[in-house]
Amino acid sequence: MERALIDFHTHPLLVQEMVAGNDELLHAQKKVFDIQNRLQPLETFHLELDVSGLQRAVVLPLDARTAKGSQIFSNEQIAELCRLSDRFVGFASVDPHRPDAAEQLERDVTRLGLRGLKLSPSLQEFAANDRDKAYPVYEAAQSLRIPLLIHAGMTWAPRSKSANPMDLEDVAFDFPDLKIVIAHFGWPWVQETAMLCLKYDNVFADTSCLYHDAPWEFMRHVFTERLPLTLLERSLRHKVVFGSDYPRVEIKNMVRAVKELGLSDQAQEMIFSKNARHLLGEAEATYK
Amino acid sequence: MIIRTLTLTVQSRREQELIDVTPEIERVIAESGVQEGLVNILTMHTSSGIIVTEGLPCLEEDVVTHLSRLCPSEGDYLHRRYLKIDGRIGFNADAHLKSVLGGISATFPITAGKMLKGGRQTIYFAEYDGPLSREYVVQVLGE
Repeated sequence: MERALIDFHTHPLLVQEMVAGNDELLHAQKKVFDIQNRLQPLETFHLELDVSGLQRAVVLPLDARTAKGSQIFSNEQIAELCRLSDRFVGFASVDPHRPDAAEQLERDVTRLGLRGLKLSPSLQEFAANDRDKAYPVYEAAQSLRIPLLIHAGMTWAPRSKSANPMDLEDVAFDFPDLKIVIAHFGWPWVQETAMLCLKYDNVFADTSCLYHDAPWEFMRHVFTERLPLTLLERSLRHKVVFGSDYPRVEIKNMVRAVKELGLSDQAQEMIFSKNARHLLGEAEATYK
Repeated sequence: MIIRTLTLTVQSRREQELIDVTPEIERVIAESGVQEGLVNILTMHTSSGIIVTEGLPCLEEDVVTHLSRLCPSEGDYLHRRYLKIDGRIGFNADAHLKSVLGGISATFPITAGKMLKGGRQTIYFAEYDGPLSREYVVQVLGE
């Protein structure tokens, strides 16, 4: 199977084979992430990718032991999920409040074969530019040459702080070899996100933003009203990856929303495939 | 009086499709032992339905196509807002409206231990927002 088209932002919160009977994951699904949908067999995730025309999905954990008292998938559970399906690309997460966070990241990425780092300053309750807690983790990710997917902007999760992507400017400057992906395009700070993507070679963003209206309405609002579509087509086509935030929204609906923007075939190929593969170390950058 | 209630699972594989569940209903009736009575079939989801029509692929496609014409996904729906009950935006109003139009249940008599239905009547689980693992209830009542 051609494995080129990738969803760079999914949470395996509803995968029955992993979550059913696991009280911590059920708690995380309902109380930390506030997702109330019923569990689905792994096959549904595969079918969701199929009807969306995608082959693979990045599956994300979140280590919020200090802030929320739970891990929303441990790194071991993400690795186990990836063993159930070769269509998943597993990322790691660590708790920046813990003194051994950097060491844990190095250990887990190496032994479990995880391919990126997920952090959420709002849910994990740390400042993205905290030099004491966050910088050692960034240093480790940079050394491991794995991308950082970091939550920015509003989150629906209860008791979460807003996360302004401008906090990431220090990080982008101080870690020039760390590829940083701003999740949710930083909404509502989409102009700030665009600025960071324009300014820093190592800053990217994903499309997983949906906070009102239908996905295609929201996407049109962000990329044709808040920002000109030409910005995405001409200047950021190599800096944006497709992400859905599934199961907060179905992958099929976010794919449709991005496709209906009216981008060129070349720009779509970069957003749905080439840029993600570049971030994952599978392909060279094709646009300088 | 026998009352047998079963929750069955069906995996839809497409965004919208009709899935023939007639054999499953007949199996439940046979296993219930009811000779004279009724069977009720009810979907448990508001973005799906239970439909009875002639079992032809062309009609299966027509049902989906024309419900979509009546309830287009790009319609202007108030439902497109954050729903606390789900923790997400509701943007499948079209699926809910198709469920309203197509119906959520069907009832058939049972006589001589078999479902009494027209020779061309086929019972479908109607998926309007798939692919998903879905549940529907079959309840057999009688003697």
